[in-house]
Amino acid sequence: MNTNIDRRDFISTASTATLGALAAGYPSTSAAAKAKEESLNSTADTVIVLWMAGGMASTDTFDPKRYVPYEKGLDPKRVLSTFPSIDTAVDGLKFTEGLEKVGAVMDRGTLIKTYQAADLGFILHSRHQFHWHTAYEPPLTVAAPHIGSWVSRTLGPLNPDLPAFIDIGQTFDSGEKESLKAFHTAGFLGSEFAPFFLVEPDQAVEAVKPPEGMSDVRFAKRYQEYKKLLADSPVQQHGSEYQRESLLKSMDNANRLLSSPKARKAFDLSQESKESYDTYKVGGRFGLGCLLARRLTEAGARFIEVTHGYYPFKYWDTHDNGHTRMKELKAMIDAPIAQLVLDLEERKLLDRTLIVVASEFSRDMMMEGKPEKRVKDQVQVPPRIDGPQHYGMHRHFTGAGSVLLFGGGAKKGFVYGETADERPCTTVKDPVSTQQLHASIYHALGIPHDHHYNVEQRPFYVTPDGVTEPVTDLFG
Amino acid sequence: MLSASHAFADAPPPREMPDLIKEKIDFATDIKPILENNCTKCHANGKSKGGFSIDHLHSFEAGGDSGPAVAKGKAAASLLVKLLLSNDPDEFMPPKGDRLPVKDIALLSSWIEQGLQWEKGFTFSKFRNAPVAPRKVDLPQGPEKNPIDRHLAPYYKKHKLDPEVTVSDGVFARRSFLDTIGLLPSSGEIKDYIEDKSSEKSKRLISDLLGDNENYAEHWITFWNDCFRNSYTRQYHGGGGKKITDWLKKSLIENKPYDQFVRELINPINGSDGFIKGVVWRGTVNASQVAEMQAAQNVAQVFLGLNIKCASCHDSFINDWTLKQTYALASIFSDGPMDIHRCNKPTGEKASPAFLYPEIGDIDNKASRPERVKQLSEIITSPKNGRLARTAVNRLWAIFFGRGLVEPVDEMDNPTWNQDLLDWLAVDFVDNGYDLKHTMKLILTSKAYQRPSVALDEEAENYIFEGPVVRRMSAEQFLDSLDQIILAANTDAKDRDTGRKRAGLRNLDRLMRTLGRPKRDVVVTRRESTATTAQLIELSNGKPLADLMMRGGEVWVKSGQDSGLIVGSLFSSALGRQPSDLEKKSAQNIIGDPVNAKGVEDLLWMLAMHPEFQLIH
Repeated sequence: MNTNIDRRDFISTASTATLGALAAGYPSTSAAAKAKEESLNSTADTVIVLWMAGGMASTDTFDPKRYVPYEKGLDPKRVLSTFPSIDTAVDGLKFTEGLEKVGAVMDRGTLIKTYQAADLGFILHSRHQFHWHTAYEPPLTVAAPHIGSWVSRTLGPLNPDLPAFIDIGQTFDSGEKESLKAFHTAGFLGSEFAPFFLVEPDQAVEAVKPPEGMSDVRFAKRYQEYKKLLADSPVQQHGSEYQRESLLKSMDNANRLLSSPKARKAFDLSQESKESYDTYKVGGRFGLGCLLARRLTEAGARFIEVTHGYYPFKYWDTHDNGHTRMKELKAMIDAPIAQLVLDLEERKLLDRTLIVVASEFSRDMMMEGKPEKRVKDQVQVPPRIDGPQHYGMHRHFTGAGSVLLFGGGAKKGFVYGETADERPCTTVKDPVSTQQLHASIYHALGIPHDHHYNVEQRPFYVTPDGVTEPVTDLFG
Repeated sequence: MLSASHAFADAPPPREMPDLIKEKIDFATDIKPILENNCTKCHANGKSKGGFSIDHLHSFEAGGDSGPAVAKGKAAASLLVKLLLSNDPDEFMPPKGDRLPVKDIALLSSWIEQGLQWEKGFTFSKFRNAPVAPRKVDLPQGPEKNPIDRHLAPYYKKHKLDPEVTVSDGVFARRSFLDTIGLLPSSGEIKDYIEDKSSEKSKRLISDLLGDNENYAEHWITFWNDCFRNSYTRQYHGGGGKKITDWLKKSLIENKPYDQFVRELINPINGSDGFIKGVVWRGTVNASQVAEMQAAQNVAQVFLGLNIKCASCHDSFINDWTLKQTYALASIFSDGPMDIHRCNKPTGEKASPAFLYPEIGDIDNKASRPERVKQLSEIITSPKNGRLARTAVNRLWAIFFGRGLVEPVDEMDNPTWNQDLLDWLAVDFVDNGYDLKHTMKLILTSKAYQRPSVALDEEAENYIFEGPVVRRMSAEQFLDSLDQIILAANTDAKDRDTGRKRAGLRNLDRLMRTLGRPKRDVVVTRRESTATTAQLIELSNGKPLADLMMRGGEVWVKSGQDSGLIVGSLFSSALGRQPSDLEKKSAQNIIGDPVNAKGVEDLLWMLAMHPEFQLIH
């Protein structure tokens, strides 16, 4: 793969089958030409995915149904929402209590009520997350790229000094770490397009600084001396060649990022006012991740994902005490999401930045899977709720989940899809699949839904077979 | 390239547009031969220079990078005609050989004018199927001792290459060490080799290196782990990914004959069953990814250089394999008869177990699963199956030279640039008991392997073998070599123990992952080897490497050597040569006098980032 391409080029093309391309993907020229054409109609330059890893119950967040307050001995079948509903900035649109701030900015956004997760025969968070992030079901014969890698490969960074795809918050140390790693990758597109990982947002700046214990002065000197040492090499017996050039060029890019005051500033949350920092800080790693995402958007990142991280049975993976935990979770996301929307709007960036709030599936108190594709129950639900630990959405529901879109051309104050008011509160109109969601995000970015790269002589599309069209209704 | 741009102002004027022919043009007799003789080399059979392919009428009409090739019914307005008539060497077609005669241009123009009549269903594309049987080639006569060199002698002559050029001893030693045991030669070893005046010294070195069974195994396990998806850590929920590490390492240490090696992977013995067990995730999977199908795909890819992945879903568009054939192979691994699914939907047909090449051997479809699997393992490794040996020797060639006799290495139906050599090596491999080290030794002691490395010309139309391609160290070679350099502060002994478990045996960590070691959830037979920005960020400020450098700085200072000595040793162990005067001066400046740990640490880093260190020349 030719890394000497100008990454600011809209589509990086390699028209001949280079040796690298034999292993990695290269674009077919017709696809590149088409993509270039469609980019003129893009409505977004940047995507921020706010990832509610673990399964966010829609009836306890953005799609409230009948509220039944807690009481001992309650029949769980009666409970659809464990929170009362509240008004939002949009007439007739209700959220659940605890999401007042996001509700107040819904006049800038779209709610999709009817996201339907894939039927994988069994609920496995990491496998559903794999599907959400790649649009492909594992296992596969070709390593599928993360959506951020597709975007990075196709569009490159907005600012060439920044990594195009930045992943904030996920670590790989839980029991499902190997499965998580399987989709946090650029796959066949090649590691140039892999995510740049940041874990703790308030330490993000460390990732773009010299190593611990090395001053900027020494770091700069080391690079200068390195260049001099190369210049001192005996007359290059090997001359200029591709491997050498790409190494030096990559080194140069890395050094530019690590010594760029502008880049460092973008990664440095200590540059924020206390007020701003504190607004986001209520959300912990996730909240500060939203703040970092805002700063990186300002600096010209292309694709950013923010999450608290997926850890089995933690955060949104609510197998017990659902109501209590949901209260905390909502407090964690409400202010940061709303503030991110407002901050980007104030900076005139919201129009070209698509924020996507999503999760691998929803949750319900009773149903595992979806009505037409039920799967094995993984959570015991007693016939009577005899303690707060049983009061909440603990089973994994794939029939309807909420996705929020803000900015980037998404309609304002708009609701897409309808869900039933009684259990199973599933999709009754306009389902949206993961593939459709991907196609829609690509659509906003001006990437055609059948965009593809060739690998092993066959096209590999942004969604399987490149047949899924975007939901154009979502965009104004 | 089909391009209308870049015409120079002083280019000769184009030829005149010929008169059109009134008679009906017949595609098969009038047009096909012209296209076949003049265009297909670059624009058909999967090739599409400038994005233009004439394989099908639709691709012909679609044109390439410069837009549509033809305007149906309007010859004079067609780019193709313009380029055929042009006299501008920057744009005319065909770009090489004689200009197309005017009468042919008249035929093509008239054909366009008359509406591009095309033979129904005709395509220039032909899938190539390489013969499967072994082919005995006589060793050519000649003065060269090494059979490979003897095969290449006429090739060099044809391509006007000097057969006698070789690299310096230092470069050769470094190359051989990294290619056989994945470690650097110590400065002592390089010195000994350079000073050795024996004419047999390169042979002896290769023998010694291949005879270092432990280090050989610890280096080669990386390549085979990638092929067999043998991850040390992966456990998907669902029970996929069984380790074969112990079996594999033992097999490499004892240089198990390759046919036996393959038999044991297909028809497992204790400890070798991970390969065909596959990767399993909890839940349902696409029909093309059930464990039996994975086994079929991976056996075909790794052992036969065949891509049947497409044909796991539907009849392949890229080769002649059909869905039925793929299911037949997969069924060998299945307890009961498999339902054939096309694009994940059952066709109602049941698969019957069979091998891909029935001419080599039959599977008894009444036999039990273990019996069928055993039959498959025997058929694949039977001497009648020349494909197994060709695929294996081609992999070795590609590893040592950076590019295979056939490319890509997993597409063994593709043509090779030296059929006789490929066939001879394959038969020789079998005749010598499928001894991998035998073939390695043949290659590594050839003059071909001693040739200076060449940059891979990405733009070259046809590959011409001139010597090994410059390659980049793997993650494992890089890290092991750094351990060696740090260790070298304490000893100059020939003991190759770095004092740390070799990288290829360690669990995958972030640094190795960044440097390109795959996760091993899919088969990888060749890694990306080009540097990426993400890698260099990690290498510039990542903690694992920074810590290693820091340790190196301390160790070297502790060695108590003076700055001149340290610089000399570091250059010699890292780059395999002494520093030039200029380099020596700069390097001594960096580490200070008296030497300070931070200075050494920085110099170590610079050497680790040096193209001469990271690249295998």
